Order: sequence, then structure tokens, then C-alpha cells
Amino acid sequence: MVKVDGHEIVEGLHYSKEFFWVRIENGKAKMGVTDYAQKQLREIVFAELPSTGGIITQNEPFGSVESVKAVSDLIAPLSGTIEQVNEEVTSKPELLNEDPYGNGWLLVVAPSNLDAELKTLMDFNASVEWHKSLLK
Amino acid sequence: MPRRIVIIGAHAAAVDAAVAARKTDRTAEITLLTTEKHAGYSRCGLPFVLGGHIPRFKDLIVFPQTFYKMMKLNLLYKTTATNIDTEAKTVEIQDKTEKRKLPYDSLIIATGAFPFVPPIKGREKHGVHVVRTIEDGQKIDKAIKDGAKSAVVIGGGLIGLEVAIALVERGLKTTVVELIPQVLPAMLDTDMAKLVHEMLEQKGLRIIVGKGVDEILGEEKVTGVSVGGEQISTDLVVVATGVKANTELAKKAGIATGFRGAIKANARMETNVPGVYAVGDCAESINLVTGRPALVQLGTVAVRHGKVAGINAAGGYALFSGVLGSGVTKFFDMEIGATGLNEFFAKRNGIATVTGALSSKTKADYYPGALPIRVKLVVEKESQRIIGGQIVGSEEVTQRINALSFAIQMHMTVRELAKADTAYAPPLSETWEPMVLAAEIALRKLR
Repeated sequence: MVKVDGHEIVEGLHYSKEFFWVRIENGKAKMGVTDYAQKQLREIVFAELPSTGGIITQNEPFGSVESVKAVSDLIAPLSGTIEQVNEEVTSKPELLNEDPYGNGWLLVVAPSNLDAELKTLMDFNASVEWHKSLLK
Repeated sequence: MPRRIVIIGAHAAAVDAAVAARKTDRTAEITLLTTEKHAGYSRCGLPFVLGGHIPRFKDLIVFPQTFYKMMKLNLLYKTTATNIDTEAKTVEIQDKTEKRKLPYDSLIIATGAFPFVPPIKGREKHGVHVVRTIEDGQKIDKAIKDGAKSAVVIGGGLIGLEVAIALVERGLKTTVVELIPQVLPAMLDTDMAKLVHEMLEQKGLRIIVGKGVDEILGEEKVTGVSVGGEQISTDLVVVATGVKANTELAKKAGIATGFRGAIKANARMETNVPGVYAVGDCAESINLVTGRPALVQLGTVAVRHGKVAGINAAGGYALFSGVLGSGVTKFFDMEIGATGLNEFFAKRNGIATVTGALSSKTKADYYPGALPIRVKLVVEKESQRIIGGQIVGSEEVTQRINALSFAIQMHMTVRELAKADTAYAPPLSETWEPMVLAAEIALRKLR
């Protein structure tokens, strides 16, 4: 893990420019918002998530998170069918602030176009550079 | 078709309006525009960057560019609104390359205010500054770095004194000139202002009250000022004699203005033109004590205005409750706060008052490190309601001002405050809360 101006970026993940991380495990994609995103939003007070069985499409919104000072759509980093939703986040949205890469995960998705879509995401090194440019 | 919301401005009131609008309507097209190259920064922090308490001017940017992206807000920098057509519902804008028209369903005017520089002879000279934007702050900072050794600040109000203190902290020999015979005339009564005045002089600031600057001296560049026959030499002059609502654009579009030239707005922050809202330093409010129009140009009011207008502009319903002008500041190690009406403004509004004032300590008197604090209450004779409070102390001022503000808003009487339940522990407070004792003193005058 490295920090860019205090914002954590974790090795081994894929990153979208819509502030999402993706972890590929056994062909499934686990995803959540980045540390940078939760720090921008500050204290998150509300999370609106879809249900299991639903379909998400890359670069399309599938839900939203709201903080005291902001609200942001959740933009899907990949396409696929939702297999798991982190229900704990809807009752305890502060998990997104406390542990964005861990207990604050949002969805596990069975990807429908993984190989092609992964190429559009940033790897760890590219994400570090992108964060540096954001925080310049 | 999504609702189109255009916001003229991109600072406290405007950005909070945009956030509230986005929370109300997730699909609206929201556009903000600013004439500046920076947006969403805290003007209130400028004196504290100058004084070295905040490292960089950049640190004042509360909303970075990625914030607008996450919120899907379209922010146009260095763009001027040149005309509003309320019939066609368009705003004509001009940026570096072109002039075009932005159509809107709701329009929020957050054009702010501009520093008012009185017509003093020589005010156009090089070395005469104002403090409104980051660029203004950077110019003063540069003048100091280029070797300025002395300064004259014209205006002994909140901003004038905050800047003067910053200049003292940067090592400049500094003089403040205030036309009215006391410092902080809009905030404090003479007796409370005296405490501030004396402390500032002890810290090395020269303060001249009851006199104006007759002339700014020098050839092209400032070399001094003339005050009541005295010539004071100086390397730079900062003019902080207040700001004026920026309403030219609104007036040209037939939008009504009122108190001190600010844009008239109802409790939904809507102007006389339906669908057009006004917020922040350019918009008037209602004073909660007098019920009369007021113009309180503070960041707290701006963000509250913005939230209400943003919700309404996006199709929701919200009301603005009014203002008390609650404000606090810190001069060196002294905290100063006020809310509601002081004696002067009460009298000017025809309200007969009694007052209760008391000096106390911020911890138990015997506790090491207990510091002085003075509380003054202003009470309406007729209703016995608390209508104002002023506090000067070394710590613990802000939340007492907030408590008094709540008391005023809830129409608390001085009798109720004198019997109020409060908290105490030796390292944190006195057994008798000074606000309660001040209420007792005022109550005695009513018997």
C-alpha cells in the first residue's frame, strides 16, 4: 500500500477514474469506492445499493452515496450480474469511511466482459500516477 | 428533459446551493460560473494565511476540482455572466473565447460583494490593497516578501483588524484607522470594544479611532497617509471599509433590490422574478429580532442561503429562518463574539433595553490556567427577552455565542436564562456559568 498525499492506494487492485477499486478473486469482481473518494465525500451518511441478481453496466450508475457535504453516483467499473451486496454498508455507511478497501466493499459481481473491460481500468502503478495528478 | 440550474458564482453560497440542488435532484444539469481562476475557496481564511497560521493560499480551497466531477457539477472558470434574460430564461456568458447563452429552468444569483473603497484622494496609487480574493491576498503577501516594513489599514472592523493582526505577526509596524470612535463598530458596544482596543495596543498595534484618512500620499507608489493633520509613513495600505452587494447584473434584469442595495429575496430565497433566487453576500435576509430586512455578509449566512435556494431551485421546498448576525473571531490570544443586537443597534431600531455584563474565568478561579472572559447580555425591556450577546475572552467564546444565539432564536427570557441548568467541573468552567450570572444582573435592573 502507498499513500499519495494521505490517500491510500492498494497493490493488486484495478482502479476506475470514477473512484472505484476492483479485486478479481476466482473470476468474480469485488468492488468498492477508493480511499480518495471517501475522503472527498467525508462522513458518509447514506448508501443506496442495488439488489443481488441485478445487472450493472460499465460506466453506468448503479447506486449512490451521500455525505453531509456531497452526494455521488456509484459508477460501475465493470459489467456483470450482482452476486453479493454488502448489506452492512446500508445500515452502517460509515464503513465506507473506516475501511474502504475492506469491510466497506459494496458488491461482488460475476463479470460478463472481464478481459476487455479490465483493459480499460488502471493498474496499481497507473492509479498512483493518476492520484498524483489529481492531487497536484 | 433534465432540469437546468444555472448558478452565477462559485464560492460559499453558490457551491452549497449546488450541493443541495444535486441532493434534491440527481439528474439536473447544474452549471456554476466564476470570473475567478479559483473556485470554492474560503475568503474568511485569507487573513490567517497572511498571518502565517495556514501555510498556503491553496489550502483555502474547500472544494477541489474532483469534487465537482463526483457531484456532476459543471464549473466554468474565468467566465462572466454578462446578461440575464428572465423572459427567455437565459444567462449570457462570456469566457476568454466566446459569448454564448445558457438556458435555465432555475437561476441562482450568487454574485457576492466587492470591497468598497471610499473616495479618498490617492486611492489609485500603487501599494493600495483590498482583501477579497486569493489574488488580493497574494499581492499583499508579495508586498511583505518584497520588504514592506510598515502598513496602514483603513477600517477597524472584523476584516480590517484580522488583516492588521496578520501584518503585525509578519513583523510590520501597523496602524489601523477607523472613522467611527471605536473598533468593531458593527459588532460590539463601546464598553466591550474597549477591551479589544486595549489588548491590540498592548500587542503593538497602533489604533486611531474617530478619524478618517484624508489622503493617501506618495507619487506613483504609496509612501504614507494623512490622518487628521498627522502624516504616517507607510509602505502599504489595506482598505477594509466594508463590502457592497454586487447586484448590477440582477438590477439590469429587473430583479428588485432592497436594504443597502442587496437583492430582495423571500423566505425561499426567491427574488421578485419566479425561478430566480439570490444568495450570499448579494442577498438580504430578515433579522430575527427586529423582523426587518438585514444584510449580513458572513460565510455562515451564505451557506445557509445557498442550501435553501439549492433545494428550492431543484424543485424541493425549504425556508430560510432569518439571521442574527452571529459572528466570532480571534485576535492574537483573544476570542471575540457577538450575536443578535447590541445596545447601539437596538436603540437604532427603537427597542428599549437593559443589559447585564460580568467578568468571570474560563475555569474555576483557583484552577491553574483559568483565563478571563466577559459576557454582556442585551435584553428587551418590554418582553424581557434576550435579544443580543457579546463575549470577549481568552477561550470558550464560540460555543457560548452559539448558546446565546439559540436562546434568542427560542425567544428565551432573561428570567429563564437566570435559572438555566449548566455544567461544571473545575478544569473546564466556573461553578456559576457567566451567561447565567449576566442574566441575573440584567434581571435585577428590570425589578
